[in-house]
Amino acid sequence: MRDVLGGISFAILIFLALIVQEFIPPVHMLLGAHVLLVPALFCLAAIAYSAWTMLSLAVFTGFIVDLMNLHIVGGRVEIALGWSIVYFVLLGLLCHGFQPAFLRGGWWIHTCLAVGGTSLYLALQYVMICFRREGVVLNDMVFWRIIGPGLIAAAVAPLVYLAWESLRHLIPGEYPRGDRFGGRA
Amino acid sequence: MNRLLLVIVFLIVAGAVLLSTLGSDAMQKMQSGFLGIVAPFVKTGSAVQRQIGEMGSGLKNLDELEAEYNRLTTENKELRTENQLLREIEAENNKLRQALDYRKRSVFKLLPARVISRDASTWWTTVKINRGFEDGVEADEPVLTDVGLVGKTTTVAKNESIVLLITDETCKVAAKVEGSREQGILSGVRVQQSDTPGLLQMDFLSKQANLQPGQKIYSAGVSNGVFPSGIPIGVVKSFQVRALDGRAIVEPAVDTSMVEDVFVIVGAK
Repeated sequence: MRDVLGGISFAILIFLALIVQEFIPPVHMLLGAHVLLVPALFCLAAIAYSAWTMLSLAVFTGFIVDLMNLHIVGGRVEIALGWSIVYFVLLGLLCHGFQPAFLRGGWWIHTCLAVGGTSLYLALQYVMICFRREGVVLNDMVFWRIIGPGLIAAAVAPLVYLAWESLRHLIPGEYPRGDRFGGRA
Repeated sequence: MNRLLLVIVFLIVAGAVLLSTLGSDAMQKMQSGFLGIVAPFVKTGSAVQRQIGEMGSGLKNLDELEAEYNRLTTENKELRTENQLLREIEAENNKLRQALDYRKRSVFKLLPARVISRDASTWWTTVKINRGFEDGVEADEPVLTDVGLVGKTTTVAKNESIVLLITDETCKVAAKVEGSREQGILSGVRVQQSDTPGLLQMDFLSKQANLQPGQKIYSAGVSNGVFPSGIPIGVVKSFQVRALDGRAIVEPAVDTSMVEDVFVIVGAK
């Protein structure tokens, strides 16, 4: 019950975050880096809930992220629909593997995964674009557009965790260990 | 349990790979449907963003008024505020009059549209506009302002469309140079450098073209192309000779990072 309700709540949050991040302007101080909220939210759900919830969310997140970012010009698809599903499934499996450490109080693991997950997503996207357009362009702008959102995620992820930590008791059901996440089992 | 999980993961990955083999039309239809679902949220977000922006510009006006107050101490504060407000209305009126006039003069059927979201993606320069197939917009239709070319529509949903800006590398425009026979292909730059944002590059010019800064660039209007002939695109900033051709760096006529009101060419008059 807890997993189902948690999964639904996160699915709604991820959907809303996808729209909200459309309206957050790029950070000029970080050479146009975008604020990505979705990976931080997904990593938290993947690390806190069951594998089934994580997989369902990975499919949902990957699908809507792809639909939002799909770039088709003149019948040519730049990055095919479906790749984000594979990415979020793999990221989710990695996050889920850290669940025991997270339950023992390692809240910072979520932050590290959100940072890595955000930057890796953009790096892979860029590699695919370069492969598709047959040519690699590497400069400081590319670097910051990959690293920048990861750095922003380092600030956003603890806030996401804190918000969830304060609100998760509203979802009915027992957590497997400890009274609080971050408390000793 | 773990084995079942592995099977499910494998099935999901196989499903995703299958999804990636869909044709571009099917993908575009799915995206169009999804944009239709998120449209009310995007419109609400856009309205909130606009209101915040107006609040910000209101604060800026207060700053300007304060500066004016220091210079002109004899003027009444109330009158100055009123004057400032009237000036804002006049500027807006002039802008709208200019746009209306351009619409009347145009030989094309122009559909006015407003930008509701911009800079949404890290790697692609696109904007969303508040017009879709219900308003008569179709994919691959030129988008412009009274100043020049903005881009073209790609995915069209019921009440909104994605516009690919000319500053994107994947937006290719056949272009010609004013006062010469030179023609080339104009496109954006993949990741714009921070010191030269929003510039375009025009390739496949002859090595002897020797274009001068300030020369105007217009769309060439090739047969079966998206863009009609004669739409202003920008001005030449510099010209360089490469191994096989010449390349001009072009400054776009329209500042695509600021554009708010645009027109979509939905057909001839």
